Amino acid sequence: MNALPWLIITPLFGAFSMPILGLLGRKVREYWAVIISGFTFAIAARIFYSIWKSNEILLYTLGDVTPIGKGVNFPIRIIWEVDLFGALLALTVTFVSFLAIVYSLGYMKDDSGLDKYYTLVLVLELGMLGIVITGDIFNFYVFLEIMSIASYVLVAFRNDTWEGIEAGIKYMFVGSLASSFILLGIALLYGQYGTLTMAYLAVKVAENPTLVSRVALAFLIGGLLFKSGAVPVHMWLSDAHPAAPSSISAMLSGLVIKVGGVYAIARIVFGVFNPGLHEYLKALGAPSIDVNTLGWAIIFFGCLTLIVGNAMAVIQTDMKRLFAFSSVGQIGYILLGIGIGVVAYGEKAGEIALTGAVYHIVNHAVIKALLFFVAGAVIHQVGTKNLNELSGLARRMPLTTLSFLIGAAAIIGLPPLNGFASKWLIYESSAMYNPILAVIAVVGTVFSLAAYTRVLFTFLGIESERVKTATEPEKTMLIPMLFLVVIIILMGLLPWQINERVMLPVAKMLEQLKGEYIMALIKFIGGV
Amino acid sequence: MNVLYTTVGLIGVYLYVSFVSLLWDGLDRKLVARMQRRVGPPLLQPFYDFLKLASKESIIPRDSNKMFEVSPILALAASIALLAYTPIGFGPILATKGDVVVFIYLLALIAFIRVIGAVSSGSPYAQIGAQREVIMLASREAPMMLGLFVILWRLAKLDVEKPFSLETLYQHNIWEIGTPLTIVGSLVLLIVFIFWLASEIEVGYFNIPEAETEVAEGPMAEYSGRYLALFKLSSSLKEFASASLVVAIFFPWGLSQYLGISGMGAMLVDLIFHTIKVFTVLFISMSLFRAITGRLRVTQAVNLFWSRILPASIVGAILLAIDILGVIA
Repeated sequence: MNALPWLIITPLFGAFSMPILGLLGRKVREYWAVIISGFTFAIAARIFYSIWKSNEILLYTLGDVTPIGKGVNFPIRIIWEVDLFGALLALTVTFVSFLAIVYSLGYMKDDSGLDKYYTLVLVLELGMLGIVITGDIFNFYVFLEIMSIASYVLVAFRNDTWEGIEAGIKYMFVGSLASSFILLGIALLYGQYGTLTMAYLAVKVAENPTLVSRVALAFLIGGLLFKSGAVPVHMWLSDAHPAAPSSISAMLSGLVIKVGGVYAIARIVFGVFNPGLHEYLKALGAPSIDVNTLGWAIIFFGCLTLIVGNAMAVIQTDMKRLFAFSSVGQIGYILLGIGIGVVAYGEKAGEIALTGAVYHIVNHAVIKALLFFVAGAVIHQVGTKNLNELSGLARRMPLTTLSFLIGAAAIIGLPPLNGFASKWLIYESSAMYNPILAVIAVVGTVFSLAAYTRVLFTFLGIESERVKTATEPEKTMLIPMLFLVVIIILMGLLPWQINERVMLPVAKMLEQLKGEYIMALIKFIGGV
Repeated sequence: MNVLYTTVGLIGVYLYVSFVSLLWDGLDRKLVARMQRRVGPPLLQPFYDFLKLASKESIIPRDSNKMFEVSPILALAASIALLAYTPIGFGPILATKGDVVVFIYLLALIAFIRVIGAVSSGSPYAQIGAQREVIMLASREAPMMLGLFVILWRLAKLDVEKPFSLETLYQHNIWEIGTPLTIVGSLVLLIVFIFWLASEIEVGYFNIPEAETEVAEGPMAEYSGRYLALFKLSSSLKEFASASLVVAIFFPWGLSQYLGISGMGAMLVDLIFHTIKVFTVLFISMSLFRAITGRLRVTQAVNLFWSRILPASIVGAILLAIDILGVIA
């Protein structure tokens, strides 16, 4: 039996049954959310394992066995096409969502309207899972909107605070604009090529790369850069993350900006406008899309993002805002990796960069989830996130401080922890490709080191009045944090094994040197 | 089996270096005392100090947190790990491609752990000392890294099996390249490294974070008893490791090939010869420097590093790079 549909069915069922089950009481509602998200995690793990084992792209047609319609010879139905990259993201999404839901049990217990909260969290998870498994570009848009709308509402969930409403409105207005860019891009592509299946679209674009396809690409990349919080359009992120409940910030920062942003960029670039295909066309003298320009545009925004994001993190006095800017900075590294993967396509440097980007997506999801959990615990126990008021938390909250120390060390990239390997790959590949890019990346890390050292002084330092009565948070909040600490250390101890066995195959499958993404569809519909 | 040999080797090196580095501390105090026309303490004074501190009661301040007690142990652990990557007359025990990064990282980490311990003590004196330590750390590492990387990069061009490993320093050295420019460049870098060494072990001009008379021992203000003993030992180990780096870069020659010894005996002879060279370098960079210079203000020291030593390091790096880049034929 194909497990793929269950990845969508389970959270969908969980979300839609929540209002009814929620009538049975608070405990039932909470256990139901935990069970559903745990079960989704198990399904994602199974799908990831089967794809990793067989090293083949998994396809699934909605409503029929083949996507081919009657009387036509091209796919007309929605297909889901999951390669290792998608499966890895699905695994990360379900893992972090599961921990965020467990964390919410303690963290959200003083809030009201929790039946809606758990419904929305499951819908958010559903939207992200849909994005990573779909092979249809309009279906991608629908899931992107599911994810975006759920996150608008969750950012403004505490609607009795001014900052929640303010950030929610800001996020919604500009987010809708970005979504409409993406929709416009998709509409242009459909108008030009008459298909919405990504792999088939790739064939069509290669046959006839018109100006319209270039404009569509620009609209898509522009919209998706917004969703990932790249620099000129990162302002929503630095407001949304501090205003949202911390469990949601962990999901927003760890997952939403990666799935809705950098994953989608990588998928559109490598799946639809494959650099290898277009370089091949160029070599033949046929019309093709200039992927180098695209790659350099991504590198440019990546470098800008990693400098501005990390530099802005240094001057923050609000803990969650600092973490939010640091997320912007880390997105810069991922974009830099993807950009080098495009311009150095088919070379060693490109492959290493792409591996580093994929690795950093997973690492940063885990680390940033931990850091936002820590921030949430501090806010929940002390009641402030202003770094100037907080000082000397270590004595009253030793486990939380330990989690912060590990998280901060990992995000800077200190060797025995997991952030090191992924950043190293990005530095190494950028140094191989163009040393100036490596210098920019290192400068970004120096800023990030400065930012986190400041918070470290806050946690250790002399005890302030405010924290004298603080205590450790309850178990449901502590356990996800400590679990993530263990994961970070374990991943840090086996960096090159993970890289060799998981991340490298993922990057190879994403890069698809032989057009695997397209070939998988052709094989599936029984073509050549 | 290999793991076992490595472990035994590391323990042996650790015991040896602990002994000689404490011995050097005694020698240093004696020498400085003689320079000031005092008799000075006996040669084995640091051992008595260590034993006395270890037997004293450790006082833990009321405002401190767990890291106050953990960081002396972490500092010693990092120093012992550093010894595994330190060239000591022969290649480091865990020599691999690129191990120079680990060496620099561990060296900076020891300083950083001291900072964490100081900040955790809850004392304002220690906080000031910790801030000074971070400022010094940020200023002194840049010229050293530039110099070290350019030397290893230059040596990697001479056909070595493990590029950017400290082991390569024993296969080729910078003097054997022999062109006048590289010799001048190496001499410039030697000066840079002598200054770096003095600031790494915080003597003379650079006795800024600890500054006994000014901020009451700085980072170490609140430490006593066992914890202080552990910190003292780890600084001595770091002192030896930093000086070993300078010796390995600029004076890597061993005695064993001239005496025609091989095997274990050669390693022993080289180790002892290396220790003598380390003592000589430390005599210049530590004892002399400590006896004849006073402390700078922290702004002056930062200024010295960024406006004098870093440019010197850049000049040295360019001179070393020139003939391989073919700028002048």
